[in-house]
Amino acid sequence: MIKQQQLAIALLLGALLSGCGQPAPALDGSSNVAPTGLGGLGGETVTIDEAGGAYGSTSEDGASSISDGTPYNSSTEGLKSIYFGFDNYTVSSKMENRIYSNATHVRTRGLRKVKVEGNCDEFGTDEYNYALGLKRAKAVKDRMVAQGVSADSMVIVSLGESNPSCSQPTDGCYEQNRRVDLHPLR
Amino acid sequence: MRYILLLLLTLNLFAVDATLTIEKDVEARSRIALVDGSALPQPKLSAILRSDLKISGHFLPDSTIHKGAFGERFIPPALKSKEYLLRYRLSQTKGVKLEVRLQRASDGTILFKKHYAIGDRRKTPFLVHKAVSDINDALKYPDISWINRYVVYARYTLPRKSEIVLADYTFNYQKVIIRGGLNLFPKWADKAQKSFYYTSYRGVLPTLYRVNIYTGAKQRVVASEGMLVCTDVSRDGSRLLLTMAPNGQADIYELNLRTHAKKRITKFSGIDVGGKYINNESQVLFVSSRLGYANIFKKPLGSSAVSQVVHHGRNNNACDTHGNQIVYSSRESNHAFASNTFNLYLSLANGSGTRPLTTTGANQFPRFSTDGSVILFIKHTQRGSAIGYTNLMSRQSLLFPISGRKIQSIDW
Repeated sequence: MIKQQQLAIALLLGALLSGCGQPAPALDGSSNVAPTGLGGLGGETVTIDEAGGAYGSTSEDGASSISDGTPYNSSTEGLKSIYFGFDNYTVSSKMENRIYSNATHVRTRGLRKVKVEGNCDEFGTDEYNYALGLKRAKAVKDRMVAQGVSADSMVIVSLGESNPSCSQPTDGCYEQNRRVDLHPLR
Repeated sequence: MRYILLLLLTLNLFAVDATLTIEKDVEARSRIALVDGSALPQPKLSAILRSDLKISGHFLPDSTIHKGAFGERFIPPALKSKEYLLRYRLSQTKGVKLEVRLQRASDGTILFKKHYAIGDRRKTPFLVHKAVSDINDALKYPDISWINRYVVYARYTLPRKSEIVLADYTFNYQKVIIRGGLNLFPKWADKAQKSFYYTSYRGVLPTLYRVNIYTGAKQRVVASEGMLVCTDVSRDGSRLLLTMAPNGQADIYELNLRTHAKKRITKFSGIDVGGKYINNESQVLFVSSRLGYANIFKKPLGSSAVSQVVHHGRNNNACDTHGNQIVYSSRESNHAFASNTFNLYLSLANGSGTRPLTTTGANQFPRFSTDGSVILFIKHTQRGSAIGYTNLMSRQSLLFPISGRKIQSIDW
């Protein structure tokens, strides 16, 4: 008798678990009509929400906090963004003061880890633009290392053209988007 | 007189240019009349039907949509000059039902009939594509099943935000499949289009995931500092070509999913991105800045020898492959603060036989269909953006306007 009960429970559990493997329930606009003549195309697809998480939660310093002649900044917590020319990933002499300032800031504040994010304007194309953003981030990291910051304390990521700080179709706006931002990680 | 005739004949033989080729192809296609038998006229459905027939390269559909009873066998005299007559009827009670019937125009013989049904009305475009694909098969024309496939693309929504969207090839059907956060570079993982890879920026490092579009099951594949993009999948799905930058240097890697072994394919201090398998997966084609500007190169998987493939243009920054065919996008202007002209070129992996596919606007993201017969691309002009298709055999092109957010990358 006990064995029969165990078997019944096992069968019930099996049926419930097999239900978990079915496709997601129908979404808006659907009904219970069985797909006909469509082969694999009739299946209902899911929608996944990935909102939240670590990404996209940085705040921005105001431009008024910077007094080195470059009127922009989108880095955080006292760090300063580095700006680049069109299709270029060399740190210009004009930006060396900012590199020095950032290196000093990281060392004196004892920042354990800094994220170095490379960005581009909108004129590149998909993957190559991300590689250009990466070269900018790497150039900034290398200059920071030359100023005494440990390479292990920086992690570089390219955001390509996905993170514009300005969206107006003007030269000044495009300049603001060709940049590297620095954000402390905790 | 005989010599003059021979000379004229010879001139005529060699006077084959692109225009004449297209005219010849037009003559070779089957003229087909469309008769809408739905209770209410279905202009959107009729437009998709016409597009499908047109881009197949096998049909020349009437520009006029006729109205007539679905069950009627009689062929109107005015349509007897066509080869075929396609009757169709859409009904929308409890989902969508599409019925199609193909008749020979000369005598009314029914050559094909079938009905298609689906619960989700938004998927109506797929019913039309499947019907046209089946009609094409019934007439034993070369396969066009690529029109049934999903297109997957990523589009920017806000700074640091994007969506990944599933669409039919005309973009009449669109559904967000991943929203929230920054998720980029979708790439189909299998021929059956059950799963795709994409790069998530949710964590500190870019991370590649594989997701099943029907169950939502997600699997972490690999993470890398710098950047991470899945650019190609081997035919059996066991190997991936990736752009990674574990040391801050963008290079091509091959990841074996069975052994989890990573192999670095390129080692260059500049930019190497966009790896694609070519020549029976024995070589990799990629975009590199080796010459100081973006251009297309290739190298065998087991050797260090790199060779330049494209000897044209000063900025060729995106490409795709099918067999030993390549298509690439070439920037043909150099404006620092304005949109540039990008044209698409078709070539062979040995660099020969190059021919232009587009002549105006910014044409980007070229992608071959699974059978290599058609190329998808995104076109931006002053008048707006569109998703475009070029049939390489019939040289027929179609553009479907798209509006709104910027497309980041696309695959089908």
